[in-house]
Amino acid sequence: MKANKWYLLMVLPVIAVVAFFIFYPLMKGGIIAFQNYNLFNLKNISFTGLENFKAIITNKNVSFGMILMNTIKWTVLSLMFQFLLGFLLAMMLKSPFKGRSVYCGFVFYPWALCGFSIGLIWSWLFNGQFGVINDLLMRADIISENIGWLSNPDIAMYSVIIANVWYGIPYFGIMLLAALQSVPNDLYEAATLDGCGSVQKLFNVTIPYIKPTIVSTVLLRSMWIVNFPDLIYAMTNGGPVNRTHILGTMMINKVYKEFDYGQASAYGVIIMVLLLSYSIVYLKLTKASEDNML
Amino acid sequence: MSVRKIKTISYNVFRVFILILFLLFAILPLFWIFITSIKTGEELYSIPLVYWPKNPTFDAYTRLFTYSNFKQYFINSMSVTLSSSLVAMVLSVMGGFSLSRFRQKKLKGWIELLLYFTQTVPSFMIMLPLFMFFSKLKLVDNLPVLASIYVATVIAFSTLMSRSFFDRIPVSLEEAAKIDGCNMLQSIVYVVLPLTLPGIAAIFCFAFVNIWNELFLAVMLINKSSKYTVPVALNSFISKAGVSWDLMSAGIVVSLLPTMVIFGIGQKYIVAGLTEGGVKG
Repeated sequence: MKANKWYLLMVLPVIAVVAFFIFYPLMKGGIIAFQNYNLFNLKNISFTGLENFKAIITNKNVSFGMILMNTIKWTVLSLMFQFLLGFLLAMMLKSPFKGRSVYCGFVFYPWALCGFSIGLIWSWLFNGQFGVINDLLMRADIISENIGWLSNPDIAMYSVIIANVWYGIPYFGIMLLAALQSVPNDLYEAATLDGCGSVQKLFNVTIPYIKPTIVSTVLLRSMWIVNFPDLIYAMTNGGPVNRTHILGTMMINKVYKEFDYGQASAYGVIIMVLLLSYSIVYLKLTKASEDNML
Repeated sequence: MSVRKIKTISYNVFRVFILILFLLFAILPLFWIFITSIKTGEELYSIPLVYWPKNPTFDAYTRLFTYSNFKQYFINSMSVTLSSSLVAMVLSVMGGFSLSRFRQKKLKGWIELLLYFTQTVPSFMIMLPLFMFFSKLKLVDNLPVLASIYVATVIAFSTLMSRSFFDRIPVSLEEAAKIDGCNMLQSIVYVVLPLTLPGIAAIFCFAFVNIWNELFLAVMLINKSSKYTVPVALNSFISKAGVSWDLMSAGIVVSLLPTMVIFGIGQKYIVAGLTEGGVKG
């Protein structure tokens, strides 16, 4: 019992820091979401009920349905390709070879970059006039005139997703590689004796064994992608014609352009409600226990 | 036998091919940014594109450090990042150890749930109230304040990470140390900590990378250009007229160096840490 008190004392700083810098402002932000809080009009702040949410949902310039669809597209497509390519990379790296750790250093490096810098890097690569991607495609005779990767409304979303996939492959690569290495070899040997081919081994041995890792990484990653507007902000800032706006970038613009903190916080509340309901459904569906969440 | 051999060989060829593709995909964008940073102004915007600068110049780097005071931003970033990652590391090691050894299951469960919950919070949600709070106290443009907030942004995840490292170290080790006459602190310092060093290094790297790269909080809380952090400075290179890409590329390259060093040194630990620690399989 005495030891327990010590333990509680040692975890207190963490709780205090999180309470003061995260939960206290979070509560404040939750309250602001129901107020007409504008930086230009600080004298007349009052509770306005659900006005902010109403304004967001009935916004005529940028339809809420489109933003939701964009958010889903951004999250699902990014997640899917990050996962599949990361998984492929991990499979290829599974058996050791000379120089593997150096190779890993180079191929996993994008993980350590800043979201905003990645956005800048890719907007330079995708630049319509001086971009290297257009130039290479022209030289290879694949295209005959420059593509507006970031200015064509039908293409822009896919361009930002490509940048996000580039950033996210290492995360899944690292996590899944280690999980793959933990699969005991006897399982594969037994499967070979039972006459399993490599595809069958993948689906009957590998994937079931590393399922906890898959479940937890996919959940965390999807939350992080939803909360990762940095890249879009740097590349298109929601344009062209709002076709790359997601909930997060709308929130940024409410803050930076309109100084409308009320609506910005309302966007925040919407994001959190969506993420929480998503995680509950996800955990129910995958039957993962809380312990496996990380 | 020979069919099997052909199969292995063709698989290996396929594997090498795929690995090369991944490598190119990962490094070419960065390589291009480096090439851009050593081009002369004319080469930068010439068509057809110049792939190999004829007169490579480090002019953009010179301008970065003279004209834009990048050295100061770099020092600001370094001091904020180092101090907050160290604090976050110490606190989360303490917290993670306690959570791992805590015997009141219910309270422990609640604390962990709270820490998980922070992962759903969009940073802009807490940014506004924090900004209002600190501007009332006249504490904007204050790097220690920024550093304290950064501790909070990484500590929940770090604590959960460190808890799972300690989970893997059997309590019996500490009990044995107690029998040998160690008190609790001694048994932690001499027995438990050395075993979790890779994990602790991973926590530090994780915190460092995340904090070094943070932009939006810093933009909000830092206005004075003498207090800029590196991402804020990069953000300020974007003017209404557009981006001057040689300067920007040089800035990006320089800003990558610290995380590159940390990642180079810590890669082993990050991989071991994120996987063994983070994922309980």
